[in-house]
Amino acid sequence: MSDEEHHFDSKADAGASKTYPQQAGTIRKNGYIVIKGRACKVVEVSTSKTGKHGHAKCHFVGIDIFNNKKLEDIVPSSHNCDVPHVTRTDYQLIDISEDGFLSLLTENGNTKDDLKLPTDETLLAQRISVSVSVDVK
Amino acid sequence: MMLGMVLQYWCFSLYPSENSEVPNARFQAAGAIGDAAIREWGMLTNENRKSLILFCLHYVMEHASAADAYVQLKVSAVAAQLVKRGWFDFIEAEKIGILIEVKKAILGLHGSDVQSAGISFLESLVSEFSPGTSTAMGLPKDYHEQCHSSMELNYLKEFYCWAKSAALNVADKIVSCYANISEEKVCSRALRFMFQVLNWNFKSSPSALDNSSSKSNSGGHMLWLLNFYAIVRQKHSSDMLWFDSPLAVSARQLIVQLCSLTGTIFPSGILLYGHQGMQYRTVSVFRGWLGMHCSTFRPVTGGPRTGMPSDRYVLPVPGDDGEMQIKHLTQILSAVIEWVEPPNIISGALRSGRSESEMIDGFHALLSMATLTSTMLFDNLLRSLRPFGTIHLLATLTCEVVKTYVIKNDDEQTWSSEALDIMLEIWTVILGRSGNDMKISAEGISSASNLFNTIVESHLKAAAESAFEDDSEADYFHVSVSRRDETLYAYALIARAAVETTVPFLTRLFSERFALLSQVWTNNERMDPTQTLEELYWLLLITGHVLTDSGEGETVLVPEAIQDGFSGVTEELQHPVIVLSWSIISFAKQSLDPKMRNAYFSPRLMEAVIWFLARWVDTYLMPIDAAKGQLGISGHDEGLQQHPQSSKKVLLSFSGQHSQGEIILDTIIRISMTTLTSYPGENELQALTCWKLLVVLVRRRHVCIHLVALESWRDLARAFANERTLFSLNARLQRSLAETLVCAASSFKDLETSNQYVRDLMGPMTAYLVDISSRNDLKAVAQQADAIYMVSCLLERLRGASRATQPRTQKSIFEMGCAVMNSLLTLLELYKNQSTVVYLILKFVVDFVEGEVAFLSAKETSILVNFCLQLLRIYSSHNIGKISLSLSTSLQSEAQTEKYKDLRALLQLLTNICSKDLVDFSSFSNEAESTDIAEVIYVGLHIVTPLISLELLKYPKLSCDYFALISHLLEVYPEKVAQLNKEAFDHIVRTLDFGVCHQDVDIVDKCLRAVNALASYHYKEKIAGKEGLGAKAMSSEESNSEFQQSILSYFLRLLIQLLLYQDFRMELAGSAADALLPLVLCEQDLYQRLVQEILEKQSNPAIKTRLASAFNALTSTNQLSSSLDRNNRFRFRKNLQVFLIEVSGFMRII
Repeated sequence: MSDEEHHFDSKADAGASKTYPQQAGTIRKNGYIVIKGRACKVVEVSTSKTGKHGHAKCHFVGIDIFNNKKLEDIVPSSHNCDVPHVTRTDYQLIDISEDGFLSLLTENGNTKDDLKLPTDETLLAQRISVSVSVDVK
Repeated sequence: MMLGMVLQYWCFSLYPSENSEVPNARFQAAGAIGDAAIREWGMLTNENRKSLILFCLHYVMEHASAADAYVQLKVSAVAAQLVKRGWFDFIEAEKIGILIEVKKAILGLHGSDVQSAGISFLESLVSEFSPGTSTAMGLPKDYHEQCHSSMELNYLKEFYCWAKSAALNVADKIVSCYANISEEKVCSRALRFMFQVLNWNFKSSPSALDNSSSKSNSGGHMLWLLNFYAIVRQKHSSDMLWFDSPLAVSARQLIVQLCSLTGTIFPSGILLYGHQGMQYRTVSVFRGWLGMHCSTFRPVTGGPRTGMPSDRYVLPVPGDDGEMQIKHLTQILSAVIEWVEPPNIISGALRSGRSESEMIDGFHALLSMATLTSTMLFDNLLRSLRPFGTIHLLATLTCEVVKTYVIKNDDEQTWSSEALDIMLEIWTVILGRSGNDMKISAEGISSASNLFNTIVESHLKAAAESAFEDDSEADYFHVSVSRRDETLYAYALIARAAVETTVPFLTRLFSERFALLSQVWTNNERMDPTQTLEELYWLLLITGHVLTDSGEGETVLVPEAIQDGFSGVTEELQHPVIVLSWSIISFAKQSLDPKMRNAYFSPRLMEAVIWFLARWVDTYLMPIDAAKGQLGISGHDEGLQQHPQSSKKVLLSFSGQHSQGEIILDTIIRISMTTLTSYPGENELQALTCWKLLVVLVRRRHVCIHLVALESWRDLARAFANERTLFSLNARLQRSLAETLVCAASSFKDLETSNQYVRDLMGPMTAYLVDISSRNDLKAVAQQADAIYMVSCLLERLRGASRATQPRTQKSIFEMGCAVMNSLLTLLELYKNQSTVVYLILKFVVDFVEGEVAFLSAKETSILVNFCLQLLRIYSSHNIGKISLSLSTSLQSEAQTEKYKDLRALLQLLTNICSKDLVDFSSFSNEAESTDIAEVIYVGLHIVTPLISLELLKYPKLSCDYFALISHLLEVYPEKVAQLNKEAFDHIVRTLDFGVCHQDVDIVDKCLRAVNALASYHYKEKIAGKEGLGAKAMSSEESNSEFQQSILSYFLRLLIQLLLYQDFRMELAGSAADALLPLVLCEQDLYQRLVQEILEKQSNPAIKTRLASAFNALTSTNQLSSSLDRNNRFRFRKNLQVFLIEVSGFMRII
């Protein structure tokens, strides 16, 4: 899971677009946005104006959905932002192999084996491995 | 034995109190003495008690000059507490024995330090005796009330006189500058105490006054006080700090307080105004204290909100006694005027650093006077002292304050805003009255007009200067807006006092700026218009306030002053208000030209334009009065008051239905269309347009009739239905837009046209949604962000439309809902992971059901109910397992908030469906086809109850919805609830238990209703020979039947506990009675046992008998029977009311 994978070279992509444009003013808290090439979940939106009679600008604070880093951006609210297509899929966990790879059950009955446990020692990762080892025994 | 220990304990704690070097230890010891003595009070002999009090008093007197004043204060507070605790144990002579010591001290026999110690003891005593500030002693409420009235009748006046003589004692020295610091302290303490007494919450009834006026001989001390302050002030005129010294502050405080006291001479002793049905409190204690024979005080119900408690009493309408009051107020005014006059010199001094406290107090005094008197009288008060009236003075003062206020120096210039607040409050008081109370002299009008000119000019100047500042108010936006509106409202009142001049003045200023812009435009000059734009922005705001009222929640009318003003004008084009309105409308029209718009109409300016138009449309466009006026022409009262009527008619009809109303309407729609399409991303502006302006347009039906006929409106509808442009609006705004557009449908004359209009409008949405949901590649596409965005927008629009359901459009909206039902189910399945979409779907269904349910026929109902069932099933199959996957707190809290929103929607859905059984407008009801609504509720409850945790019930909105549903359900379908499985039923009972003990009155009320329903159901079933709640328990284990029985007994116990020991909220008495009656009837034996138990626990025989008779009266008076019909419930309510009033006196412990 290298960082490269999650970068969006917006619009330069020849294939199916991974993002689509949406007006900055309509992006709300808890939505998604691409900031500096990273897909982020928006945790804060505020608007300001340059001078009293200027145009509105949106100030976004986003959390990278993959590495939880905080990113910020300011965009005129009439401009378009790139919004990533974010898909969330729930899998049932079958097993964790010795090298830390997960074995997951997909919807059509196959297994998916290319995901690794998070390497940082988060609580979630610990709990998953503990509960699985209990289950296996 | 016990007593000995207690005494020892004291000695121990007294010891450090006298000798310890650490003040903190002495402080703690004093507290301990007080606590111990109050706890063990019953154990002590009278002699002990008295000596303890005297010990404390002596301690205070002896250490009066010591440092660490807080220790002395604590000890005297303890003494005061003990005096109150023993108030009814001591005989009169004993009390006097204690108080005589204090009196000696206060009269100065032992030096000035002791004097102030004595006064501070009185302060503690008085605050201990007033209920608001008393300390808890574990005694019944009755005791505290008796202490309060005993103090008021027998001692308060005495104390006041002591303090007064103490003040008089030292005053001479202070005046002649020989006083030392401690003597000044005595004086300020005494004045402060007098202030405290005047603030006492007097309760005694007129019949109790009689003799206490015998000693009324202390005349004229108010005059003395005024003189005293003036002289001392003179002496210290060069000392800038003196104004904030304790003496000055407390003297001024007292003067302001005296200003708000008022009364009348009553030769006969008792005479009350029966005015406005207010309750009078006549306080004879005051007779003669104030140097005038006043004795009536009237509490103000809703006085102005200043920090000062000075406005508690109001002058009765001047009558025979007017003379005396006027004299009293004039005396004070003559002193107070020194504090604020001449305004320009005072404000100059303040700017150079003098303390503002004196001026602010002066303003407070003026405010009290304004509240007490009619506007005319207020104006005349000053005339005996000055060649001009009070209003003129007020205007000059306000001018100065405003001038200082607009120069916004950030360095702590807070006094100007405080001063401005008080000033504007005075103006609101004197100008906000109606009718005869608010007549102003010509001089007053011209001062108001001048003042308004100054206000506008200084604000325009400030606006121009601040035009380039960044707009950084975003965080406090709404707070600052509502504050700004309040200020502008007060300004507008001032302007309306002098409409004849202020409206033309505004017109002139507006046209000047407008002309400037046009000139720049036509000559192609290069000039930055920002300053002018900001000035126009401010002018639009103030003009909006002057011309219209905000009218929140009320029918907006043209303000009276504007209706009645301009009496000479008969020509439409000469009426100043019309001229002003036209010039603003034609200015707004310029925004339709794209070039003009880009150059001048900044989003901020446009916001003001839209805001102004919304208010203006609400007030002036095709007003209701005009329609009525036209009917009235054929009537009889035509000849009366020809002149004022004609100007009013001109004003009301110029934008009426038959003149230019339609043209203006057309312009306004085009302008709103522009803001929606040409200002992308300007949320504030678009929100104003959707939520304020467009909503106002469809509010009145006779405006709608014209609206739907206009081409521009059809354009808007067409753009909404068929074009993509409006999809770029914020989704919530699209909802509101849909609502507005559908609302307008109600104005069509025939039903079919209305429905067709809605179909045309919403048809494309449903088609689109159906189209999306039936795509083959749906699975692949659906999760893409743009698809989600599109679906959300469509759902919001549908929701908006269903919120606008009216009888006329009900049919087409139902068709709309039916068309998307299947798609919604597909989408819910598909977007199970997208909580926002799930929420939107639920919310749409909630609003849809709410709007439709009352109108549906049996067949339609079954369609709807089946749909809801399917929806609930899908929701539960995907969501129940999802409660908490991880322990990570952030994830969990997020999951909770999502759940919380979903749950609320579900609860609302169930409640709405329920209402079908209560409100049903459908024409046919065919029993055979009708579906069991209770069935849905049953399934719904099984889904919802496991998700509701006690944690979640702490969210107020959620718990409110939940208990509303539960109480409703139990009332309507108790049998269904009885059939719930054990787990769900237990859960409901547990939540009820939680709710009954809740703080929120609403929730407790709902829970009591639920308990009532549960118990009544059980009782009725049992009477009918059925099993009631027990029936369900029979099917499972035997122990359950015990539990079922004990649910009711549990609630009986709980309720009695609540009523007797914890909760004395009388507003709950009604529902508590309703719940208690069936419980008592169900569990007669247990009730008897409980009552017996409670009585036995009571050790005090007097209380025991009172309690016993109260219980007896509760169930046996008023011919209470053992049925649950309405009459019987009503009787029981009365009984419980009486019971609670009786019992709370001695059972409520403070």
